Parts: sequence; structure tokens; C-alpha cells
Amino acid sequence: MYYRTIRNDILKNKAISLTTIIFVAAAAMLVSLAAILVVNLTGAIDTLMTRAKTPHFMQMHSGEIDMPNLSAFVAENEYIDEFQVLEFLNIDGVQIDFQENSLADSVQDNGFSIQSEKFDYLLDLNGNIITVSDGELYVPLCYMQDGTTKVGDKVRVSGKNFVVAGFLRDSQMNSLLASSKRFLVSENDYKELKELGSVEYLIEFRLKDLSTLNAFGTAYTTAGLEANGPTITYPLFKTINALSDGMMIAVILLVSILVVAIAFLCIRFTLLAKIEDDYREIGVMKAIGLRVSDIKKIYLSKYAVIAVGGCVLGFLLSFVFRDKLLENIRLFMGESENNSIAFVFGMISVLFVFLTIIFYVNSVLNRFRKISPAEAIRFGVSQEKNTGGKRFYLSNNRLLNTNIFLGIKDVLGRKKLYATTFAVLVILVFIIIVPQNLYNTISSKDFVSYMGIGQCDMRIDIQQTDNISGKTAEISQVLTNDSLISKFVVLTTKTFKVNMDDGSEESIKIELGDHSIFPVKYSAGRAPVTKDEIALSGMNAEALGKKVGDIIKLMIEGKEQALTVCGIYSDVTNGGKTAKAVFTDDSADTMWSIINSELVDKSLIEPTTKQYADRFDFAKVSGIDAYVIQTYGATISSIGKASYAAIAVALVIAILITVLFMKLLVAKDRYSIAVMKAFGFTSYEIKSQYVSRSVFVLLVAIILGTILANTLGAVVAGAVISSFGASSFEFVINPFLSYVIFPLMMVITVLIATIIGTLDVERIKISENIKE
Amino acid sequence: MNKIITCENIVKSFGEGDEKHNVLDGVSVEINEGEFVSVMGPSGSGKSTLMYTLSGMDHVDAGSVNFDGKDLSTLNENELADLRRIKMGFIFQQPTLLKNLNLLDNIILPLLNKNREKSPEIKERARTLMKRADITELEERNISQASGGQLQRVGICRALMNNPKIIFGDEPTGALNSKSSNEIMNLLLEIHRSGTTIMLVTHDIKVAAKTERVLFMIDGKIVGEHLAGAYDESRDDLKAREDRLIELLAEMKF
Repeated sequence: MYYRTIRNDILKNKAISLTTIIFVAAAAMLVSLAAILVVNLTGAIDTLMTRAKTPHFMQMHSGEIDMPNLSAFVAENEYIDEFQVLEFLNIDGVQIDFQENSLADSVQDNGFSIQSEKFDYLLDLNGNIITVSDGELYVPLCYMQDGTTKVGDKVRVSGKNFVVAGFLRDSQMNSLLASSKRFLVSENDYKELKELGSVEYLIEFRLKDLSTLNAFGTAYTTAGLEANGPTITYPLFKTINALSDGMMIAVILLVSILVVAIAFLCIRFTLLAKIEDDYREIGVMKAIGLRVSDIKKIYLSKYAVIAVGGCVLGFLLSFVFRDKLLENIRLFMGESENNSIAFVFGMISVLFVFLTIIFYVNSVLNRFRKISPAEAIRFGVSQEKNTGGKRFYLSNNRLLNTNIFLGIKDVLGRKKLYATTFAVLVILVFIIIVPQNLYNTISSKDFVSYMGIGQCDMRIDIQQTDNISGKTAEISQVLTNDSLISKFVVLTTKTFKVNMDDGSEESIKIELGDHSIFPVKYSAGRAPVTKDEIALSGMNAEALGKKVGDIIKLMIEGKEQALTVCGIYSDVTNGGKTAKAVFTDDSADTMWSIINSELVDKSLIEPTTKQYADRFDFAKVSGIDAYVIQTYGATISSIGKASYAAIAVALVIAILITVLFMKLLVAKDRYSIAVMKAFGFTSYEIKSQYVSRSVFVLLVAIILGTILANTLGAVVAGAVISSFGASSFEFVINPFLSYVIFPLMMVITVLIATIIGTLDVERIKISENIKE
Repeated sequence: MNKIITCENIVKSFGEGDEKHNVLDGVSVEINEGEFVSVMGPSGSGKSTLMYTLSGMDHVDAGSVNFDGKDLSTLNENELADLRRIKMGFIFQQPTLLKNLNLLDNIILPLLNKNREKSPEIKERARTLMKRADITELEERNISQASGGQLQRVGICRALMNNPKIIFGDEPTGALNSKSSNEIMNLLLEIHRSGTTIMLVTHDIKVAAKTERVLFMIDGKIVGEHLAGAYDESRDDLKAREDRLIELLAEMKF
């Protein structure tokens, strides 16, 4: 009996059943893909980091290194399993010339290394430790992906010839978000190159037990060992590796939650319409003594069939797309060992979708309990309470066209019925606006100032060289006399000791100079102005446990001085732990200097940048735009693409859902339609009632969706943006797009969909439908 | 006397192939202006279908229907809708009211559609009709707050709003008890006396006995008619009119 009922029911409502199956399939596919990707990504990262034996603790250091001192520390420290110091030979991108491209414009710190002996291996694309011969060069993967070079290409590095022998996976620096990239050469070649660049040291440790990492970190700092550069630990390496694919997974998960929600709303709507249709039968079934659970089974079984169909289809579809999505993970991280587990997890997640649907249908069907058999048999329809629009009488209406009035009154009177469409439309408005605002925000010129970078035109970095202050002064002199430069500021970073309240010591890097010229955005407080003020980056504030108004005890020129924290800002540069102050100090060594400048004529940024780069080859000169494009360009453009894809998807869903709901509504309202037709309403007039219903619902949805997008959406987007390191931000909204174009697009889409969905109005015959 | 409806040889069939059967099988009939006509016949004889085709709510497969000088087959859907709105009124077995409107709004709805600017006059007319139908106090009530008889009166008020040339009634008393049924028929008689043409489809001898002319239908054909003349309560001949109808029905083996 079930089989026949289900088959007839599904066949009778082909369009609706098919749409529900599609949404369930899409939901199952996305959830399964997300599960497969998560398992593969974590598996691949683990495999990569295990094979490469990634260091647990790494201190980058430029300058002299005191090996005996370090060795003594290692001998005494009980946590250490292995220890090594690797060299990283910085060579300016200009000196690296591929056959077709050069790395002159690269903002990455490109450096050369030899294969290490103990751990932190550089791997080939099969996951094996590379053995490199003289004359061969192994190139970081990112240069394969962006098409800079290919295997067999000839390369000139500072005048020495190499052949690209292959590409390498670097468990530390694979990600584009890691600002350094390691090239691998043989020991002999390295010796020749060493004279041509500046050496930076990677002081690396592997611990016996990773859980002792924090204790070890404190021990290292307390010992006052080499620390002129960022410190990076194993969990951070893992995070950096996971970030870009992790974001993709997060987006898939977000979209899948949305699709699941829409599938639920579809099911809810069709189910309620069906219950309404069968109201009298349900009453009769209850009257003749069937239990609610028995009646439920009849309905539940139909949705079980739809859910199984959708889930199986979705799971199969996930196989089609998963290779494409796994491509990037496989390339950068290699094959995961979790493949079969991924399959199982995919299955489990699809099963989860299935069970959720059944559970949901079951809970909707609980309203059977509330149906009174007597009432159902007598009236045949639920005596729905008109919750709104009571004071909204046609007889008092002077303002609106009768059909528009009836449309709006219907929405207000049957709010529950329209709640589904309304909720979907709010979600759609949300997914149109939020990614667009996010894209607008991160692609705005202003955005760099959320990331600890002042908004200037040209940035000159002077580091990893000797006599930094002298060289900085030299460039300053030139800038002062250059009429093309309208203003500039020199910011010098030095390390200072902080006396903590518990008596311990921490060292922090402070950028000294005038911070008001190219200000960054402060999430709290403001830039330092007086000598006794200091601003901290978000990460530093957290690490030091300070907030605005707190006092920091700093050792300046050998004396303890109290500085007030005047502001907190977001920063993604230099490992995120920075500080800004205006006092002067001549005793500490300059670690690096930055000169930010603004040009009188913005069109000259490129030639001026090149001119300064040529003249001061010891400095890294970059236009801020180029800097942003190279660091975040790929991310910005993929968010841009994603935001346009979101619009397309939202509009398609809007059409689908509106057509579906309108068809259902017309079917449900066929009696009222027949009555109105009998009294002389034309099909056009009746359709205009439906148009006014959908447009009314849509307009309210647009208002709520926009409000939500700008509040809740900002929080969601904030989570994405904070993954770039910026902690607080404001949406940069393009009002024309967000408040005119997108709503207009939605209105047009919904209008077209309503017209399509209400075509059946014309086919409703009075004679067949007027009898209840 | 002017004819408001003339139909000739109309055929209307339902179903396809072997299952196709003529619900109306060559029906010809004329309705005069100011007449009160009823159609009787067993279930499935085609009474309601005849009413729907004469009012332009359903198309005929063959034959022609002429309403007030217009051939209905030449009119498009919008023109038919206009015709119904301006010249016809309908009363159905169930009250056919819209759930989300109160009773007053249900009555004014058909007329207000095209005449919003006349809203005060329309409201006034509705109130007059409601008074006549003795349902003045129900104005702001919803459907669920009125009895079947009251709702049917609302339906009649709605049918009268446009001052129609003809009122079609499909078993207007079919769902009512005998007291309500009697009251509704008296209201219809009053309306008829004020000059409106009425055509009713009914099973009920008591209802048909109060009409001027009764048409008998069997299997899609009109098989006879009975001219009873106008009913006058003062003559006290209702029983005799009913008995005559019973005789005729027996003759036709209803």
C-alpha cells in the first residue's frame, strides 16, 4: 500500500518532488564534500609534516650567531630531541631570472638553502626527500602553480646558471601566506652563491614531546638566545598550511548549511500544503482509530524515499567534484593516507543529512496530534487563525489598487504560510550582499590599514643588511630632495625588554617614528603621540595581557620607564607581534627600517618604485598596490569570483523557490481563484495579486536581509577577515550596488519567477474548482 | 418578451477516448428577461454543467450560447470576466466566500475591483443589501463566525451588488436546513419581483415549486418543462404546485 501511495504522490507532484530531491542532493553532496575535504586536508598536512619532519620550534635570526652559546643551551635543555641551524640565503628577486619570467616584482623573500640533514626536509612531489645535484635547482611549488617556470627551464641566479630539476614541497613555507620561499640547491652551488646574498639563520628544534612546546619557548626566551626575527611554532605551521584550503572548506560548509536550510524549508512547505489538502482524510483516519504514529508513517515513508534518492544522488555527485577540489591539496600537501577514512566520513555525513531530514519531517508531522477529528471532518480545513491584517479592511481601502491590497492582506493574514518564502529570501539577500561587501572591503585601498600597513604609495624595507641606520638616512636624504615625493616617514624597529608584572622578562619589537602620517586602523584607542605612549598589535596585547590604559614597563636605555597603552591595532606583518611608539632611543640596535612615502602624482608610482629599487639595491622597494596584489591578490580575486558566484546561485535559487512556492500556492488557492473568476476577476488581475504578494514579501525580506547582512554579516565576514590578521574592521559598502542594483535584480528575478509560477491561474476552471 | 439567454444544440463532453461521454447532449433552451426558472434532474444529468456553460464559466464543444445579444464563443477570457462582473450574479451550494476577508469585504469585492474610487457608495449599497437580507450585524465577522444560512445570505448580497441582469444559483439551498432554505427562497422571490432574472439548479421540489418555469433534464438532454406561472404566497397554492411537480417527475421516471 505504501509503495503505491508513495509512487502516486511523487508522480502527481513531479516538479515539487524533483526540486526537493535536487536540494537534498545538493545538501548531501556539499556536506559529504566538506567531510571528505576536511579528512583529506588534515591527513595530507599530517603526512607532509611527518615526512618532512617539520620543526616544532623555529627562531629566524639575522645577524651574528653564537653557536657555542646555543650548543650549551641545547646540551642543558631536557625537552630537546634534535637541533639544527639552517642557513637561508636571501637573494633579491631581481637576481633570479627564469627563462621567461623574473622574480623582480616578487614580494616574497626568495632564498636558497641546501637539503637539511636531520629534519625539516624539502620534499619532491612524490613526498620523497630530494637529493640535489650540482647545477640543479628545485623551485617552490607556488612558482609552478602561477606558471613562472617549468621543469627543464634554464635559470640564472646572480649570474650563475641552473636548470629547474623539479618542484619542492616545503612544510614550512608552502603557503602563499608565508612570506618566505625556499629554493633548493646543492652544497657546492650554495657555497658559490653565498657571497651574493645575505644569510639569515633558521634555528630549529624538534622536541621529545610536543606538549612541552610552551615551556620550551619560555626557556628559549629566558636564556636570551638569538631572536632577531620571527618565532614560529609547529601549530602555527599547521595553521598556515591549512588556511587557504580551510577557507574553501569553510565556504562549502557555509553554503551547505544554507542549502540544507532551503531543503528543509521546501519540505516544510510541501508537507504543510499536503497536510492541508488531506486535512479531512487525516481527521477520518484519526476518527476510525488509527494511531498518530501510523498516520505519520504514510507521510514519512514518502519523504524517506525522497531523502534516500537525494542523498544517494548527492553522494555520487560528490565523487564527480571531489578530485577537482582535492587538486590543490594534493599539489601542495601531497596524497593523504586517509583516503578510505574519507570515504567512510563522506558516507557518515550523508547519513547524517538523511537522518536530519527524517527527524525534521517527523517533527513537522507532530502537528497531527493537534488535529481534532471532529473539526477536520466538519470543516475539511484547519481553522487557521488569521493572525494579522484584521484591521486591514478592503472596505476602508482607498489607497491601494484592490488586487495589490488583496495580495498584501493575504500575506498579513497567512504569515505562517509565507514565512518559508520569506526566510529563504532573507537568506538569499544575505548571501548576495555579505560576500559583495566583503569583497568591496578587502579590495578597497583602505583595507591595508586594517592589516598594520599604513596607506601610502611606496614602501621601502631596509633589513638584512649592515649599517641599517646609515642606509636609511641615505634614502631619507634622497626622498627629502625628491620633488615627486609629497611626504614620507621613517619607521625604525628595535627590540626592547618588557618587565612583566610577575617579575619575568619578555622582549618586544617596537616600531619607532611618527605614526600619524600614514596611520593604521586602531581597533581600540589611537596612535601614540607622546613619548610615554605605546600602541600594541592585537596579538601582542593578548600575549602581554594589556588593554588600552594599562601601563607597560619598558627598559629604555637601561632604565625602566612606564608607558601607557594608548591603542590596539591589527597587524599581519612580522608575525603579528608588533608595537608602535614615538620615543627615541639610540642604544638598541636597529632591526629593520621602513620608509613609507606618498607621491604627488599617483600615476608615477610604478616608475618611481623602479627607480628607487634600481638605485638602492640593498632595499626592498614596493608599491603598496603591488604588495597587496601579490600577497592577497589571489585571495581577493577568489573572494571576488565567489561573490559573483554567490549572486548567480542566489538568483537561481530565488527563481526556483519562487516558482515552486507560487505553483503550490496557486494549487492551494484554486478554490478562491475560481470564486474570484466567477465574480469577474480576470486571470491578469488574479496574477497581479500573486505578484503583489511576492513583491511585498520580497521587499520586507530585502530590508531584513540587508540589515542582517550589515550586522550579523559583518560578524561572519569579520571571522573571514580576521583570518588575514585584521581584528576589527568596518564594511566598505558600495551603496549603489547593495541598495539599488542587487535589490532591483532580486525584484526582477522574483517578478519573472512569480509570473512563471502563476501561469496555472489561467488554466484553473471555475466549474471544476468552485465546488469544495 | 426579450430573451436574455438563447442556446442552441449545445454539446459538452468530459473524458477522453472510450471514456468520453456527453454531459450536455444537444441542449437548446431560452430564458426570458425577468423569468424565474429552475432546472431539475437526477445527479449527473448535466444541470450544473448547463448553468456553467450558459454563464460563460465553461466553454461548449458544439452549439452556441447567446447572452444578452452576444455570442459567448466569440468572447475572450477577459471579456467573459467583464460580462460576469457587470451582468451576472452567482450563488453556489457552498457559500464560496474568501476566508481571509470579513463578510462585508466579501460582498463588496467583485464590484470594488474596478471601481475603487466609488468605495463609499459601494459600501453603502452593500449595507442596504445586508439590511434587506437581515444580516446587518454580521458586517465585520469572519466566515467562521456565521451560520450556513447567514453565509448563504452573504453570498446572495454579493451576487446582487452589481445589480445583475440575471442571477445563477447552483443548489443555493442544498446545504441548508428547511427553515433557512425557506428564508433564502423568500429572499430570492423578493429579488425576482424587483425585476431580476433568476435561474436555479435544484433537487428540491419545495424550491422548484416556487419558480415560474421548471426544466427537467435527464442524461444531458432537456426532456420536458413545466410552466407553473408566478408564485404568489397569498394564493396559498404551494402544496398544489408541489404535488403537480411530483406527478410530473413520476411520469418522467425520475
